[in-house]
Amino acid sequence: MKNKNDSAISRVVFTTGISSVVTQLLTIREFLTQFQGNEIVIALILFNWLMLGGIGTLLARLVSRNYWQARANRLVWLSLCLACVPPLQILTIRVLRDVFFIHGSSVGFYPTLAYTLFMITPYSLLVGFVLPYSLFVLRSENPSYPGARIYIIDNLGDVSGGALFSFILVFVFTPMQAILLANLPLLAACILLFRVHRRPHAGFYVGTALVLAVLITGLFMETPSLATAEGKLVHYRDSLYGRITIYQDQEQFTLFEDGTPVFSSQNLVMAEETIHYPLSQPEKPRRILLISAEGGVMTELEKYSFERVDYVELNPAVTAALLRYGLIKKIPGLNIIHQDGRAFLSKTNNTYDAIIVNLPEPETFQINRFYTDQFFKLVKRHLSSKGILSFSMQGFDNYLADPQRLKLSSLYNTVTQYFEYVLLLPGQKIYFLCSAEPINQDIPALLTSKGITTEYVQGYYYGNLTTERIRRLNELLDPTVPKNFDKTPHLMRLMFFQWFAKYSTSPHAFVIVLLVLCLIYLIRISREEFVLFSTGCMTMGSEILVIFAFQIFFGYIYFQIGIIITVFLAGLLPGAIFGNKLADRGSHLLTFSDGLLILLLGGFLIALILAADHLPIIFFLLFGFVVSLICGFQFPVALRVRGDDNPAATRFFSADLIGAAAGTLFTSVFLIPYFGILWAAVGLIGLKFLSLMIIGSVHGKNHATTVSLL
Amino acid sequence: MEKITRRQFLYCSAAFLSSTLPAQAFFAAKKNLQSGAADIRGKVFKGDAPDSLWKWSHEGHLYKKLSDSKVVCGICPNRCILAEGDRSVCRSKVNIGGKLYSLTYGNPCAVNVDPIEKKPLYHFKPKSKAFSVATAGCNFRCLNCQNYEISQAKPHEVRQYELFPQDVVNETLRAGAECIAYTYSEPITFYEYMIDTARLARENHIYNLLISNGYINRKPLLELCKVLDGANVNLKSLSDDIYRKLNGGRLQPVLNTFKTLHEQGVHFEMTNLVVPGYVDDDDMVKEMCQWILTNLGPDYPLHFLRFFPRYKLNRIPPTPVSTLERFREMAIQEGIRYVYLGNVPNHEGNNTFCHNCKKLLIKRLGYFIPQNNLMGNRCKFCKTVIPGVWHDESDKAV
Repeated sequence: MKNKNDSAISRVVFTTGISSVVTQLLTIREFLTQFQGNEIVIALILFNWLMLGGIGTLLARLVSRNYWQARANRLVWLSLCLACVPPLQILTIRVLRDVFFIHGSSVGFYPTLAYTLFMITPYSLLVGFVLPYSLFVLRSENPSYPGARIYIIDNLGDVSGGALFSFILVFVFTPMQAILLANLPLLAACILLFRVHRRPHAGFYVGTALVLAVLITGLFMETPSLATAEGKLVHYRDSLYGRITIYQDQEQFTLFEDGTPVFSSQNLVMAEETIHYPLSQPEKPRRILLISAEGGVMTELEKYSFERVDYVELNPAVTAALLRYGLIKKIPGLNIIHQDGRAFLSKTNNTYDAIIVNLPEPETFQINRFYTDQFFKLVKRHLSSKGILSFSMQGFDNYLADPQRLKLSSLYNTVTQYFEYVLLLPGQKIYFLCSAEPINQDIPALLTSKGITTEYVQGYYYGNLTTERIRRLNELLDPTVPKNFDKTPHLMRLMFFQWFAKYSTSPHAFVIVLLVLCLIYLIRISREEFVLFSTGCMTMGSEILVIFAFQIFFGYIYFQIGIIITVFLAGLLPGAIFGNKLADRGSHLLTFSDGLLILLLGGFLIALILAADHLPIIFFLLFGFVVSLICGFQFPVALRVRGDDNPAATRFFSADLIGAAAGTLFTSVFLIPYFGILWAAVGLIGLKFLSLMIIGSVHGKNHATTVSLL
Repeated sequence: MEKITRRQFLYCSAAFLSSTLPAQAFFAAKKNLQSGAADIRGKVFKGDAPDSLWKWSHEGHLYKKLSDSKVVCGICPNRCILAEGDRSVCRSKVNIGGKLYSLTYGNPCAVNVDPIEKKPLYHFKPKSKAFSVATAGCNFRCLNCQNYEISQAKPHEVRQYELFPQDVVNETLRAGAECIAYTYSEPITFYEYMIDTARLARENHIYNLLISNGYINRKPLLELCKVLDGANVNLKSLSDDIYRKLNGGRLQPVLNTFKTLHEQGVHFEMTNLVVPGYVDDDDMVKEMCQWILTNLGPDYPLHFLRFFPRYKLNRIPPTPVSTLERFREMAIQEGIRYVYLGNVPNHEGNNTFCHNCKKLLIKRLGYFIPQNNLMGNRCKFCKTVIPGVWHDESDKAV
């Protein structure tokens, strides 16, 4: 019975791991669709998730000790609730956004923080609660049950959930279908656990039926929950890279990518500016590279007699939808390439007369790679001697605000290293035209001389882009603003600054509250907890660093990034098993493993400095695996050092999660944008040094005591 | 407890499923007007005034002193009551030492020479150049503001030029512009600067144009009308709910502004930005046309502008062109004589047709006018007087 019980509870823990990781990934994607998908928002969501999980874990100890004793049937009910919450959570996130915020509007930092926190609180607390509670249930019948084992099983579930989502569910299923599939095993595990403990009764079956019904109902709610008042949803696809929806309002089709309108079938102005500003410059542009596009650009391209247009779009689902709904059309000579634009450029031998980059602003590490020193150098290599590069930033109507001015200056200072002539053209978007040849700003005249007619440019250019406006914009650029590099994404810091300025908010209050809470927490925890806290922090920090560095060198490749994330989870499992076996050898192991982490990150840092883009993919994977292996290793060791009782287990689970939360926020929002990738690694090494010193001091003390006893 | 049968289990599940299906109706019934905050009107910035005045401070017009050193601003319907040290909703007025001061007198942050068609003003001296000035601040909080960098900023937060009223007039003459447009952010918030400049401009035979949200009290407007030659006023919608939700203002004062301008004989044109999901309502457009016809008559041009995602309202698609075309047709059928489309390049709706003979009067290709069939203020074909402020026959070549 005991074994049966253990297995049944283990199954619940394992399937909870699967369900929770799938839910977490879907929740993050849902939030990114509902809010600005910048790096701060991504970090905030992860932070909230991990932090609440940590609090849930602490609560488990408190609640089960004082009010709600650990029992298997209670675990079943908790797990049933856990299976039922994900579809409700996703639908609630969609629906309540328009209840709390004005439809169609974007919101700033604090509303995003409050909303994400509020929306995921029930599930995150519950999922954090269930793991230690399962351990307490096991220990209620078997007091010597090792805490590390539950950690291992949970990790196994997490790895399986991550892999299941990244390599299967995301390709085939919609969010609600994925939730249903990811929760069915948990539901089955609940039934099995219940059957082990009690004779099945009506209440339980009704409960299970209700959960199943909620999960199935989610399927029916999927599309209606995406409906809006200003258009009919005609296309919906949750692709690898985000949600694509197309809404039709009479004859107009608008493609939304993650909730933001990015392509419209009627955006003539943007299409003309995008194409004719750069292509008016070279005498006869024959080979053209488009990195992403605008609605209607192909129609404008057709006005030139080119040989070939390479159109690179990362997401095949976007081009499929664009072509299907006529937002772009197939034209002779068009070659569509589904690849990361930068990765394509680094591999191709083609040279172009014009390279037109049509990407959003650098709000994420991924997009920032298209606005760096290294990217412009790469572009220069692929341009013909009289070729032209064009890219754009958000524009202004009549006044260039300072955050935007600094952004433009940083870009200007970066790009002028490789192009002798750089001209900025104001408007709804600010276009950068960069070339080795002088740039003629009388674009309507150039078009007329080429026999090209346009609806917008030739009619409005002289009124909207007066010589005075162009001159003034170019004069406002500040040559002292730092350049933007791959490894030091200065532009992203300016983007953050601009984002806060747009909503007239400042993150200072949040940072102060967080620091105070963090300080209180750190004062209260034990040395071993600090080791786990710092390891959680470093592991998440390293994961972000690795993904960031990987994208710089190899581009955004869904599969490989999926593998990196999986590897970061997968190492935990063997690490924990290994640690469990060696745990008896005491705190020396913590010191040793901390030292190893420092060496590892130091090695990573040196490799980045010395080898940079020569590093093979396996290097990143191996690094991720070993870091997570050590992280997994430390948990059972720390638990054994401190005494593997219930309070220690919950506090250690919490330390790991809270550390991971801090690492996510600290690395992606502060360390990388402000200090760059190399100094971010140094910062994480510094943290681990602190941990090493703390644990080392314990060891030293113990050693001294031993000596005196002798 | 009794064991549940398989059939009971299935019935139970089916019943629950059925009960959740009507929930779908909830999604279909979503109304944008019910989402989020119902009122985004601005608030007075307590204790936010600078410690001392600067060189661009000027004592406010038309304010009243209250007890306890408080003052109430009389320029716009916000009627901000400011205690000492407070800053107004529009961010450009402060109470220092029990007096109301404007902080935007002679320090525009945006200065450009624009084609008058850009304002848009289609019935006012076509092809003339407008010397355009704006300072920081606005009495609204429009979520889709095109100029939020200055309208939602305090005067000390922006770079500024030093152009006192006489300098503006001098610069206008130097630029060869016929008009001064008080525009971009919200000129009502720099009323003192605007009216003093306008008076000087009038003396120098320069036209004064107000490009505004129309959120102004009658008394200052009457004063302004004495020196005003033309205006373009936004009629954002005919719904007070939308005004409060998307713009942070109220409808009635804007309607009053139209009536006052009409009554004072100032030429004005109206713009209506058609925001999908909010303002694209056929019934509201009809109602709006009826209100215009009843209160202002059929002669004032009405521009339906195409919305593009901007500022904070950036998760809504652009307005379909056919919606604008439909509204134009509706407005013409209702009886408004001159209805235009904005932000739609080279559309027929950019051209002026005689309301009498329906022939093409002014063809517009962007800011170019390749064809102008006006003789003075009359249609060349049927000699009907076309409402507006036109070039004399002698300066038609301008």
